[in-house]
Order: sequence, then structure tokens, then C-alpha cells
Amino acid sequence: MEIKTRDENDIKVIYLEGEMDTNTSPEVLSELDNLRNSGVKKMLLNLEKLDFISSAGLRVLLATAQQLKASGGDFRVCQLNKEIKEVFDISGFSTLLMVFENEAKGISGM
Amino acid sequence: MTEQRKKILIVDDERLNINVLHELLKDDYKTMAAISGKQALKAAESDSPPDLILLDIMMPEMDGYEVCKTLKSHDKTKDIPIIFVTAMGQTSDETKGLEYGAVDYLTKPVSGPIVHARVKTHLELKRQKDELKTAYKLIESQKDRMEDELLVGREIQMSMVPQEFPPFPEKTEFTLHAKLFPAREVGGDFYDYFLIDEDRLCLCIGDVSGKGVPAALFMAVTRTLVKARATEDRSTASIITRVNDELARDNQKFMFVTLFLAVLEISTGKVTYTNAGHNPTILRRKSGDLELLDAFHGPVVAASPELAFKEDTITLEEGDKLVIYTDGVTDTRNVEKDFFTQARLEKLVSRTGTIDAEQLVEEIFTEVKKFEGEADQFDDITLMALSLEADTTTGLIDEFSITIENQLSAISKANLKLNEFVEKHALTTELRRQFNLVIDELLNNITSYAYEDEEVHQIDVHGALYENQFVLKVIDDGIPFNPFIGPAPELADSLEDQAIGGLGIHLVKNLMDQATYRREINQNSVTLIKKLQ
Repeated sequence: MEIKTRDENDIKVIYLEGEMDTNTSPEVLSELDNLRNSGVKKMLLNLEKLDFISSAGLRVLLATAQQLKASGGDFRVCQLNKEIKEVFDISGFSTLLMVFENEAKGISGM
Repeated sequence: MTEQRKKILIVDDERLNINVLHELLKDDYKTMAAISGKQALKAAESDSPPDLILLDIMMPEMDGYEVCKTLKSHDKTKDIPIIFVTAMGQTSDETKGLEYGAVDYLTKPVSGPIVHARVKTHLELKRQKDELKTAYKLIESQKDRMEDELLVGREIQMSMVPQEFPPFPEKTEFTLHAKLFPAREVGGDFYDYFLIDEDRLCLCIGDVSGKGVPAALFMAVTRTLVKARATEDRSTASIITRVNDELARDNQKFMFVTLFLAVLEISTGKVTYTNAGHNPTILRRKSGDLELLDAFHGPVVAASPELAFKEDTITLEEGDKLVIYTDGVTDTRNVEKDFFTQARLEKLVSRTGTIDAEQLVEEIFTEVKKFEGEADQFDDITLMALSLEADTTTGLIDEFSITIENQLSAISKANLKLNEFVEKHALTTELRRQFNLVIDELLNNITSYAYEDEEVHQIDVHGALYENQFVLKVIDDGIPFNPFIGPAPELADSLEDQAIGGLGIHLVKNLMDQATYRREINQNSVTLIKKLQ
């Protein structure tokens, strides 16, 4: 699992690459927690290169989204590939999270 | 109360003749007079018509024949008995009068006793005829009512039996079909089937004594009670014992129902069943061998309260079939009055090959109807078949196996093995990602929940690529657990409310074309199938 980030104003754009499963999800959670603890309030996750996401991974996204929202922040995802979109649709995450087609659309209005 | 005196209309153009008849009849009857044909018609068509007419033949303008013909042609007057009074005394005239519809004739000069006798006789005949007519009307209306009632009963009956086939298209482990062909009048058959949960299928067939609305309502109550009990009771004996108590308690019409109730555990093929006064169900093994489920578990249901019904269990293997039916099948008769018989049914079932439940039902039904021929169907014919489908997967291309230990960190080993296999056969990324997810969910589940000790356990993951599908099997030796039982998780519409539980299994079920669980000896076995495009 590879996690890369870049800054766009006060927004942290986060690139997830690989598999977000039982074993890798804790790693992603601790990385996202670190960012939140360092003061990041706005996150945009680019999932283009995410191979698959299991329920363990969905749990991480949900926890982070809930915590950011509670502290007045913003959590968005964008660039879902076909398989990730399928999982988002089946699990209801497509309507639960703010999902955008691409980075530009995700950033605008954030 | 004295009976109202009957009215006699005397028609004659000679007043003298009228007077003679009037004098003869006035003590016993109320008389009216008409001195012409026209007057006679008017009197007959009035609101207080005569009960009998004495009619002279020879009259100017309109003679007696003409009057008679006219009266007989009108609905209102056609039933009034007419007696011709003729001076001629010639047979031909008398015959002509009778042809016009008169009931009798008198010859002038009239004799008192004869007039009295004829009038009395014909009034009595008319009375009896009227009574018969009323009775007939009553019978007709009752018959209509009875037929209506039977029809209403039939409608209730037919609306009650489920008729969507195949009933559970998502269940590929078995096929199920049923057919109820109602007799024109008699018959109180019903059947029902429903999933108690994802792993248990309930089958029920019955024959209620009686017909019409009462039988249909009894049927409805029976069906509802069985269904209600079945959701919370695993024993068919216990279900029927309770239902029997309920039904017998207020059974004022002394109705009863024969019942065959079975619950199939889909993952193991285990069938628990109770036969309460019903025909023996036929179990056809894949080999063609038959076993009759003819143990006596109790009498018909609702006849007597506080009975303890029994049950038995059998295990179905792939390819085995159950044929459940009512006596309408075996008691079907042909024109020679021969019965179809149990023996004939068994022979037929034994002969059938590898066909699914619908084909089996149709084949038996066709044979029964063919046997019946031109004879009337006198009872409902009901058939239900369950077939445990054999695995029809063919065209194995390649397979792989890996055994991992029950540690979360070991899950990726299984996924790496899968990825190698996918690469080797140039399968799609989509397929790989879906199975990566599914393996992660299943192994996570097993590792986290299947073991109650701290020991090391082994989990087998087996993948097989067929021409038309990819099949993944995961086998563990943990506690019995069917992951596919239980409701789908509530998908909340807001972020704050969303809980994550059961989501993984929900994903697995939705991503795969088929997800089944079987408990094998000391092992849980999950099979997942994804069809290849």
C-alpha cells in the first residue's frame, strides 16, 4: 500500500495506491490520523490507483469522514475506478461520502 | 284464516248460460262474467285475473278459440286454465279446443256435479303446478348460491397458493415446483413453500376435508398457523403439534386437514418432516431407487387436541428428489373406473431421469391426465417436487490450492496466489479485484470469529477456472457458522448514522453470482461462483 500526498491551498490531496484490505487498512488509518492530528481539516482522496477496497478499508474512510465532519472539516473522494465504484455502490458509500469525478471537481468549493 | 275463494270467469254471449253456471258455482267460488271475447280478454289481463276460465266457443266477433289462442300467447295469462263449454258435443270441436291449449271441456247442457268436479280438479292441478314452479325456482336459486359459494372457495384457494416459478431463482442448490389443478367442485388441496431463513426451506402440502368457503378459510388458517410457527420452531413435529392444538380447539365444523410438512436445511441437505395423515412422500435417489416417507407421525390435523406428533429426518444428496402430492393424484380414475394408484406413480417417478423439479411435476401431471382420459376429475390434483441439483460445472481448465494459517497477516498469501493464477490465465483485472476483496472479507471473518481456542488452524482456499465460470472454495474447521444468514446491513443515508457490520458479507454476496454455504463434517465450506462473460 502506497500513500502519497500533495497540498492544494489548505486541502490535502491524498493518493492511495494498492490494496486497502484487512492488513493494509490500519496503515492507512494511522496515516490519515497523523494528518488530522497535524491540523489537516480538508482531505480529498484520489482512488484512481486503488486496486480494491474491502469493508476494512471502507471502515477507515468512514471513521475519518465522521471525525473530520465533527470538527468542521471536509472529506471527499474522487476518481473512482470501475471496481471501487462497484463496491461504493453496493455498500451505499456512493451516497454516504462526497464522491467526485476528478480532482478538479473535488477541490472546487472545498 | 279461511282460504280466499277462487275466482272463475264465465264467458258466454248468452246471459242465460252465464246465469246457469253462476248459480252452480256461486257457493264455492267467486264468479265473474264476460259476454264477449273482448271482455274476456280484458278481465283476464286485469290486475285481479281469474283462477280459471269457463269459455264458450260460439260467440260473435271473437269466438272461443280466438280468445283461447290470445290468452295462451301472453305470459301474463298463459297459465290460467281454460275449460271450453260447448253445445256442439262433437269430438272434432273438442279436439280443436284442446289443441289451442284448453285443459278440458264441458258439454251443454251442463251438469252440476260434473262442472264442480272439473273445476275443482283443474284448480287443484293449477295449484300444484304453481307450487312446483316455486319450488323449482327455489332450487335453482339455491343451486346458484351453492355454485357461487364453491366458486368463491375456489378463488380463495387459488389465491392462497404461491404461483411464481421458479420461486427462488437465486437458489441454485435446488429447484422447486408445484402445481394445483382444481376439480370442478370438490377439493380442498393446498400447498405452500417459503424460506424460513437463508438456509432453511419450508414445504407444506395439505388436503382439507370439505369444500367451498369454509374449507378455503380453514385452509387459510392452517397455512397461516404453519408459517407463523415455522419461523420460530425448528421441529416439524413441534410445529404440527402446536398447529393441531390451535385448530382443534375451536373446530365447530369438525373439519380436518391432512398435512405433510418438511423443512430442508439447504447447506446440509437434511430434511426434517412430519406426515400427519397424508400420502407418503416419495424420495427418489439419484440412482433411481425410491424410498417412501411413510412413517406414521400422527393422525389428520385438527381432529383432536393435545396429540404429540412425531418427526423423522433424512438427508438428501445432490441429484435426489422429493415428490410430494395429494390423494387426487393416486385416486385419479379413468373411464374404466381404475385408479391411477400409488404403484403407478412410484414407477413413473423411478423412471424419470435427471430433470429439474418443474419438468418432474409436468411429466407426472401429464401422465395422470393422460390416464384420466375422458373421465371427470373428481378431486383436486396437487403435486410438488423438490430437486437437489447436481453441480453442472463442466470444462475445468485449471485450478489452484493454498492452505494458510488463521492469522490476519496470512490473508495476503492467498491473494498473491490468486493474483498469480489470474496472471497465468490472463483473466481480467476486474475479476482479480473482485476475488481479492472476497478473499479478504471471508478470511478476515473466519480468522476473527471461527475459532474459540488459541490453537493454530488451517484454512483451505481453492480456486478453479472453468470454461464459463470461476469457482472459489474456502474451507475451515471452525465452529459451524453460515456467514450468509442474517439480514443485509442497514445502509444509512447519513454519515453519522452509518454503522459497519455485516458489510463485508453484503459485498461478497453482491459481487458474486452465487454464494453458498455448506456445513460438512467438522468443516465450514463456502463456495463462490462468478460467471465469466
